[in-house]
Amino acid sequence: MSDSQTSGSSEAPRRNFFVRAFTAALGAFLGLVPAMFGLLFFFDPLLRKRKKGSAGAAAGEKKDAEGFTRLDVKLDTLPSDGTPMAFKVRDDKYDAWNLYKDVEVGTVWVRRTADDDVVAFSTICPHLGCAVDFRAGRQDFFCPCHTSAFDLEGERMNDIPPRGMDRLATKVNDQTGIWVKYQTFLAGRKEQIATDE
Amino acid sequence: MNRLLEWLDDRTGYRNLLNETLYEPIPGGARWRYVWGSTLVFTFVIQMITGICLWAAYSPSVQTAWESVFYIQHEMYLGSVVRGMHHYAAQVMIVLLALHLMQVIIDGAYRAPREINFWLGLILMQIILGLSLTGYLLPWDQKGYYATQVTTKIVGSAPVVGQELQNLVQGGSEYGHHTLTRFFAMHAGLLPALLIFFLVVHIYVFRRHGITVKNPNRGPSSDFWPDQVLRDSVACLGVLAVVMGLAIFKGAALSGPADPSEAYSAARPEWYFMFLFRFLRFEMVEHFGQAFGAIYVPGAVMLLIALMPIIALVRGGHRFNVIFAWSLMGVIVGLTVLSLIEDVRDVEHQAALAEADRDALRAVELASGPNRIPIEGAGKLLREDPFTQGPRIFAKHCAACHRYDGHNGRGRMVMTADDDTGIERPTLPTAADLGNFGDRQWWRRILTDYRNLMQPLENAGYDVESSIEYGMISWFEESVEVLTAEANQADVDAMVEYLVAQSGRPGLELNAELMERGEEILSTGSLTEGEISTCDDCHSEIGGEFELGTDNVGIPELNGYASYTWLKAFIDNPGTEQFYGENNCMPAFADKLSSSDMDLLVRWMIGDYAATEVKPYNSKVELLQIEIDDSSGNEVANADEQPAADSE
Repeated sequence: MSDSQTSGSSEAPRRNFFVRAFTAALGAFLGLVPAMFGLLFFFDPLLRKRKKGSAGAAAGEKKDAEGFTRLDVKLDTLPSDGTPMAFKVRDDKYDAWNLYKDVEVGTVWVRRTADDDVVAFSTICPHLGCAVDFRAGRQDFFCPCHTSAFDLEGERMNDIPPRGMDRLATKVNDQTGIWVKYQTFLAGRKEQIATDE
Repeated sequence: MNRLLEWLDDRTGYRNLLNETLYEPIPGGARWRYVWGSTLVFTFVIQMITGICLWAAYSPSVQTAWESVFYIQHEMYLGSVVRGMHHYAAQVMIVLLALHLMQVIIDGAYRAPREINFWLGLILMQIILGLSLTGYLLPWDQKGYYATQVTTKIVGSAPVVGQELQNLVQGGSEYGHHTLTRFFAMHAGLLPALLIFFLVVHIYVFRRHGITVKNPNRGPSSDFWPDQVLRDSVACLGVLAVVMGLAIFKGAALSGPADPSEAYSAARPEWYFMFLFRFLRFEMVEHFGQAFGAIYVPGAVMLLIALMPIIALVRGGHRFNVIFAWSLMGVIVGLTVLSLIEDVRDVEHQAALAEADRDALRAVELASGPNRIPIEGAGKLLREDPFTQGPRIFAKHCAACHRYDGHNGRGRMVMTADDDTGIERPTLPTAADLGNFGDRQWWRRILTDYRNLMQPLENAGYDVESSIEYGMISWFEESVEVLTAEANQADVDAMVEYLVAQSGRPGLELNAELMERGEEILSTGSLTEGEISTCDDCHSEIGGEFELGTDNVGIPELNGYASYTWLKAFIDNPGTEQFYGENNCMPAFADKLSSSDMDLLVRWMIGDYAATEVKPYNSKVELLQIEIDDSSGNEVANADEQPAADSE
């Protein structure tokens, strides 16, 4: 591109258009490159394939092979009338670069059933994730945030929650006590979908 | 579409603004030499974009700063590229800044009526240097930590309010959480805000006076758009290519996590501050007091630059300014090059750099491992890692007598200065080289090269023939012919296999067939060709109870030889009957080492630590030895050939 071309010549408009278009494209490219890299980096939570908590270290102590965690309670200490009791679930927890060993990761409602088995519910409300409470007077589960209510079987008692309380798989062992497969599920869905799937 | 734009223009007047911006006339036409300002704005845009992205992932606290940067660099999507862009664009910005300033001075663009804008530019320069300084600390790695310590100490040496200023900057009298939060607030908040403000004013005033043109009749005038924009864009493309190339192919460094308890002898500022660093190293400068070199001289230079528009009023003033600018640039480049050359030639500094690299790689290796980073921070990973700490403990407590693969454990020669000449020479070891302690190589040398393995004891003045090693030496002299015979090498391998199994070290893979053959030879003493006396003629039988007979006082126990328990007990006190008894010459370390140091040292020596791909230290030693050989002639050749020994 030479400086000597003047705007008076007949080729000038075409040349000018080319120069303008090229310059504009180049300018856009210059802005786009850093913006694209920045944006992709910002989208890391969606784009990165996360390394699953490497089984060796994490699963060993707290979880059994099927992913069950032991609760600090045995069947015969649960009230025989089926009143639910809340228990903390302890596990190893990953958070970005940290690994927290043996910390409280959540709470579950556990109640004894007539046939000497147990049922366990996540305390996380399937509506929008507040903590579901047990109301002894009314014998129901109740979420104080948006008044979701559930019966003792975890079934919905009004239409506010999209589904019943999230039931967790349990195992009863005479020696070691009650084991629960602790999971969290997506809120606001009719179906029960685990968050880490 | 047109009507919409009409409406928009009516409400905002954007066309007027666009015209103002784009159709700035450039007398004499667009030129390449006007591009520097635009490239600076462009790099600043890169910094804003990448900086805000990094902000979204950075966590400023002592236990999370290095950790979050590690996470950005090694785990997050395109993290290393985005961090690399930010890192290198910052350095490119400094180069462009220097070019822009030189351009302005050479063209005399600081003269009336543009003095104010020149001063605005100088303020922008200070802000950018401030951004560089504050940004260097944020990863909270050893490099940034120790370099910034120097900077804040310089602040502390300022007259009258120095100490207060330093405490203000670092958020207290010591570095801590608030050093990071304050540096981060300055780096990502205050300084960018000031930069944007002054940049806007700078550009506004620049537009008011127009571009400085030496010769308006050089060619026909053109407008900023598109001719100059095209040139600016091409220059920016070049800048982008450099930044992306460095970010992708070189990547930003992250040294080990900052640890105030771990000295960092490789500390250097970023390369663009090296001239100042080197300037402060002149003893002469230090004689005038710390503030002189670090504050008054740079301050005076800045003042002189700021006075340029006024100096130019005097006849010949402009010429003086240009000469001064060139000389200053020459001094800066000269000092930088001098400093870099000195560092390359400085054996100690190179060893320190190599160790820093080793720590950096190891920290990343451990942080990426299955246990991730503990909540106490990544510093704990290195502090409790035998592979990292073992060599340091060895160098401190063992290397006075022992060597490790010929060096002191940390890849450095053990040197003594000659009393008369002051010339440093390698010190002769007075105990065995423990580089292979307890592994197959070690046993092979005991069986076939015992004399040389223990040679360093002679350096200590022991007459090997008649002293503690007598028994073992005479066995060796008797057996060496049989053990080095060609036909017996498979048998020696078998013996080695059986003996090395005693250590029970983690990860030791043993050949059962060989071990069986080894046990047979060691109990009968008969090899394929010839016979030897067996170990249990003197030592307690392997696998049997330790027996303390009158004859075997001071004959080391072979059960569990070189295992954790054995080695720890040995270092605790090598003078017990199970080891050397009354014949022992090595100090007992039970009281000299803390229990954690002892644990780290022993675990390092027996290889009990998370697997690593980091290279061992000795790769560097060869280089160091060559340099030492060159400087002190052939006298040291002996010392190098004998990879040392111990009172084994």
